[in-house]
Amino acid sequence: MLAALCVAVSPARADPPNEARATALLDTGSRSGSVVVEGSAANGPMSGEALVWTGATQTTPLTANALTFAIAMHDARGLADVRLGRFVFTSGAIRPVQIDGASVLVRAPSGTKVEAVAGAPVVLSGGVQDFDWLAGGRVSQTIASRVIVGLSYVQRRSGGDLADEEVGTDLSATPARWLDLAGRASYDLTAPGISEALASAAVRAGDFRVELFAIDRSPSRLLPQTSLFSIFGDFPSQSVGGNVWWKAAPRLDVWLSGAGQSVGGVYGGNGSLRARLKLDDRGDGAVGVELRRQDVSTARWTGVRVTATRPFARTLRASTELELVVPDDPQNKGSAWPWALVSVGWRPHKTWELACAVESASTPEHTFEFNALARLSLFWEKK
Amino acid sequence: MSRAHGTLVVLLAVALAACASVLGFKRAEDRSRPFEHRAHVLKGIACTQCHEKIRTSTRESALDLPNTARCVSCHEKPHDTHECSTCHGESSAREEAELVHAQLRFDHGSHQRATGGDCARCHQGVANDATARLLPKMATCFGCHKHRDEWDVRKCDGCHVNVSAEEVTPDSHVVHDGDFIREHGVRAASNRDLCASCHDDRSCAKCHGVTVPALPWKLAVGDAPRTTGVHLSGFRSRHPLEARAQPGLCNTCHAEQFCVECHTQLGVSATAQNARSPHPAGWISATGGAHATEARTDPMSCAGCHGGGGEQLCVGCHKVGGPGGSPHGLGFTSSKDKVREMPCRLCHGASR
Repeated sequence: MLAALCVAVSPARADPPNEARATALLDTGSRSGSVVVEGSAANGPMSGEALVWTGATQTTPLTANALTFAIAMHDARGLADVRLGRFVFTSGAIRPVQIDGASVLVRAPSGTKVEAVAGAPVVLSGGVQDFDWLAGGRVSQTIASRVIVGLSYVQRRSGGDLADEEVGTDLSATPARWLDLAGRASYDLTAPGISEALASAAVRAGDFRVELFAIDRSPSRLLPQTSLFSIFGDFPSQSVGGNVWWKAAPRLDVWLSGAGQSVGGVYGGNGSLRARLKLDDRGDGAVGVELRRQDVSTARWTGVRVTATRPFARTLRASTELELVVPDDPQNKGSAWPWALVSVGWRPHKTWELACAVESASTPEHTFEFNALARLSLFWEKK
Repeated sequence: MSRAHGTLVVLLAVALAACASVLGFKRAEDRSRPFEHRAHVLKGIACTQCHEKIRTSTRESALDLPNTARCVSCHEKPHDTHECSTCHGESSAREEAELVHAQLRFDHGSHQRATGGDCARCHQGVANDATARLLPKMATCFGCHKHRDEWDVRKCDGCHVNVSAEEVTPDSHVVHDGDFIREHGVRAASNRDLCASCHDDRSCAKCHGVTVPALPWKLAVGDAPRTTGVHLSGFRSRHPLEARAQPGLCNTCHAEQFCVECHTQLGVSATAQNARSPHPAGWISATGGAHATEARTDPMSCAGCHGGGGEQLCVGCHKVGGPGGSPHGLGFTSSKDKVREMPCRLCHGASR
């Protein structure tokens, strides 16, 4: 089907390039194998893209699914786009939904955009339930190329019952070159109240970036309102914090972040310190270290992660990742959970790549695990 | 100063020098330098004296970067036999020029005529600082070319051959190295067209699709380790802690019953045969137990295993008149018809 899609929209000229990639992965840990095929192509006003996968484990039969399989038509002046097929619909403040359907986006030169979508939400069983559908849209306005405000609405039905009905608003503003502001909030009309609200303000200055953020989430409103677990009401989780990026040296980046949290009325927080040292000016080789502490409600743990990667010659790359997690309350599942991975990637030609890795860990389920992974990737591009 | 102190100072100096080198600090004489454009400008040398074909340059013309022969036409006694570009001019600047030449629909010839040969009008860095980047910012282009309409409809191909292939990221792109999982959603909400300049729908579907073939890092095995993301390294061990720390976050990508397949295989799902309970002691008691608080703060974790048919386990106690009492929190309201619509009818339905 992918080949048919690419042929159907094969290019008449050089740009943008048509490309495809196939990846086969074997994992001895889950005793599984999978193949992922993805590609995109464009021809004048039409473009198409696809991402499909198939796989099987020792205990489950061969499964296949398409994550994206869509064709889009674009107005030559950029005033309208139409999408048909399977795609992820993102409606501003309301959470993304994967659907089989169609969307129409109209852009006016005045900076007004109107988007409408309708279709059937993709469900886990791979099929579509009776009377499952979704409809919604978003209207937005750009003001002086610096501010975008949007309003969204989505209604979703599952088995004929109302699963979600939400309105949302979003804002993005760059009042100065060094200042980025963004926010979004969605409101549940079924069980009235705020589903999710996020705000972020970032300041960029030379070798620093400082961001402050706030989040309010009502978990029971994020589930489909046809789920029994949506009936608890408003027990929000909140988080307020900031993070700092500092280019401490030409090859050294440091990130420091922290937040105070409230989960169901219990207060706590989290923090992390992360650094990456590039081993060359381009950053092809790098070592990194990360320290994390999470301390809220029943989620209390400390972790350290170390990574290193280095290219050898032009075609070979070796990498390693090490992690140690120490839970405060291991509940008889091991006092520490170490994890290690060593991998080698070999790309002798631009059309294919082979990678192998060994993974070893002590997990809450198993005292010792040793897995091997192998990946073969094929690349194709036509300019 | 004692001998020991002297040795210590020398060792410290060597260590600092080594650290400086590792961190990327370099001595001036150790590296290729930005080309000395400013010095040439101050001597009154016209740009076109070196870039002599620039006046007639078209989109198809080759890059007009002067070679050693051009340099020695003035600098008659070069100080060594190397190509001048070995030290004068950074290779990264040349690579950038080649990328721009390949990716922009632009010709210097017509701009030369329009600006009256004033190169510094666009290349403002030339006269200011030898280390200044010479490639003009897009805002400089917009100083003359009013592309407001094209900008509003994100029609970039008038100037850009393929924006994503340029691999040039906007200044705000630094969020990708920060806390990407938390920050990308709030920034992409209003700016989807900007994100779509480089990222197609597949980028979203790889995480927001209902099914995913494997943990993302497994499909990227052999690549350089990622520095940010939620499913890194030993995530499988951490995932219950990560989920409890940020209730609802899993829902933003994963469907209600995403967890059930793995948990059924592990025998810890309500729908698994001979399932063992993963819950700690005191989970359910005569006065409620810990499950009430956990369910209200993180209902996704319950739905992951008890969704669908598993809901009957809850309804058995919490139906109207049942021993579990009302699970609704204070002030709970709903616009649903509680007798006919899901999930209300499970407990409030007429047959109950």
